Amino acid sequence: MSIEDKVKINKLPTGVPGLDEIVGGGLPEFSFNIIAGAPGSGKTTLAHQFVFANATPERPALYFTVLGESAIKMLRYQQQYTFFDPAMLPGSIRFINLSEVVLEKDLGAVLQQITKEVEKANPAVVVVDSFRTMVRKPESDMDLQSFIQRLALFLASWQATTFLIGEYAEEELRDNPIFTVADGLFWLRQTPERNSVVRKLQIIKLRGQDSVPGLHTFRITDAGVQAFSRTFGLIGHAKNPPSHRRLCFGIPELDKMLGGGVREGDSVLVAGSSGTGKSVLATQFVAEGIRQGEPGIVAVFEERPQAYAERATSLGLDLETPQKDGKLKILYLRPLDLSVDETMHSILDAVQKIGAKRLVIDSLAGFEMALSPGFRADFRESLYRMIFALTGIGVTILSTVEVDESFTEFPFSTYSISFLTDDIIRLRYVSIDGQLRKIMVVIKMRGGNHAKDIREYEITDKGVVILGKRLTNYQGLISGIPSRSDRPDSTGEPALDTGIEHKT
Amino acid sequence: MRDLAHRLLVYEAGAGDASEPLETAIVRVYEKLRQSLGEFAGVAAFESLAFRALTQAKSEAPSLWAVKVAADGSLQGLGEIETQIDMDKDLAGEFPAGEGGIILIARLLGLLRLFLGEALTLSLLRNAWPGAALDNCNSENWRKA
Repeated sequence: MSIEDKVKINKLPTGVPGLDEIVGGGLPEFSFNIIAGAPGSGKTTLAHQFVFANATPERPALYFTVLGESAIKMLRYQQQYTFFDPAMLPGSIRFINLSEVVLEKDLGAVLQQITKEVEKANPAVVVVDSFRTMVRKPESDMDLQSFIQRLALFLASWQATTFLIGEYAEEELRDNPIFTVADGLFWLRQTPERNSVVRKLQIIKLRGQDSVPGLHTFRITDAGVQAFSRTFGLIGHAKNPPSHRRLCFGIPELDKMLGGGVREGDSVLVAGSSGTGKSVLATQFVAEGIRQGEPGIVAVFEERPQAYAERATSLGLDLETPQKDGKLKILYLRPLDLSVDETMHSILDAVQKIGAKRLVIDSLAGFEMALSPGFRADFRESLYRMIFALTGIGVTILSTVEVDESFTEFPFSTYSISFLTDDIIRLRYVSIDGQLRKIMVVIKMRGGNHAKDIREYEITDKGVVILGKRLTNYQGLISGIPSRSDRPDSTGEPALDTGIEHKT
Repeated sequence: MRDLAHRLLVYEAGAGDASEPLETAIVRVYEKLRQSLGEFAGVAAFESLAFRALTQAKSEAPSLWAVKVAADGSLQGLGEIETQIDMDKDLAGEFPAGEGGIILIARLLGLLRLFLGEALTLSLLRNAWPGAALDNCNSENWRKA
């Protein structure tokens, strides 16, 4: 059997942003699906989005309401969503109430009524909401399994894509004939985590489709359900081949230390304690990119975009003009209940919109705080996915991270994430000659040579300025409490530091 | 809302026999609403709305005092009351005898508009009266009504 002989399953748009990718490109036409979850988890809204995305006057959608929320109240609330188009009712979308049949008759009569309406309307989409209330009827002549099988067969024969909506608990997954018959099973969860609620969607099964496994976060906004794929919507995107191009900071001495700049597509970590100039360095990185014609994104979590831009102005860097020109976007992401996937979605949207080549995340600590507590446990894993996805499409990421200064260790990050980064620049305070001065060192550059020098720098009205040559007349600089050695300055040989544990 | 109710009544009166009593047209309007909304929202939901509309209408039109909404949402006693009014009173206007009925229909449409909004209510009405000219029922007209 050749590929041409195989049946082609059309994929229907779900009408839910982000969900098409999760289900493998769209929902299989004529499939029989269940949307399950607790009350308030978004089941009806999701079904409505599908209905509004697919119903036409020629092939309408039939929306059967059963016991539960009345159709009038349902529509009163649902029409608040932006996807709701009243003009589609009742020509393309027909609501039919089955409460009387369900209350007064048995499942056989329900099937008969559905059959009658389907034969009359020839719908492309059929929804039964809530199916659960229907099958709770104990005295039924027709057993549930037979009812489901006949309903599924009938609706598939009539070329209808079907959703049954039900309030199910997860322990009901086992031995339930409904779940056996269904082609697709969508499970919506909402879990309270401390003071916030985390919503997650899982495609437990979807026959014939390469759906993305795992739990995907989703949010319900005035646009309805919006899903955030764990793959960040990057399935099918070609990975950029490794680049040999170097991206400069616009700080000549630092660029030299980096062997000409950071490699395009790298993930760079700038680590240091408070006030060491991490944000300044990050701002210079993105400003230099704009100067070089590379649009940039700055995701800020600890200050507002206006304040960020004003601080840049004080360093002689104009971030206002590129924002107006569409070359720079400063994203302020701090609603305190974000998921990494949502943050990524915002960042990716911005990256794609302006064709950004450089991204600054300032800072990882702020990022973590902006997440819902339930997502913080997965922060490292999520960060890994995010960095992998973004660098894969050629974006160079610079993240800042605050580290606690220690005089016995030289930590690069409190997140143990240095393995996620290609390059690490460490900033720290040192006590020299009765002054608290600043030093910088390039700890690592994956795929490239870099200077081993420890350089002193200052933050001036021109940003980070590296002073003089490397410091060779001190021992133990990275401990923060160096001792003066007899060596003259700048011998051209690297200074050695001993007795310090490098913690990643 | 009365304007819209009146328009539906005119449409139904025109569609029927010229000799038929006015209440027949009112009942036809009501029955079309009952059928359309009953299918859409369920008999119980329609019955609740109709009962509420009737209660409101009675405060404006005491002539409706004997009218009742049955469990299936149908209207009982409208014909008798309207005929009695017609005989007892000499009212001017196009549908003097149907005043109570118009008020009832107007109240029902008002409740629909309140719960479903203007656009959706008009969509439902257009479906029930595909031939009726309801397109100029814009927001301004609704407010006036």
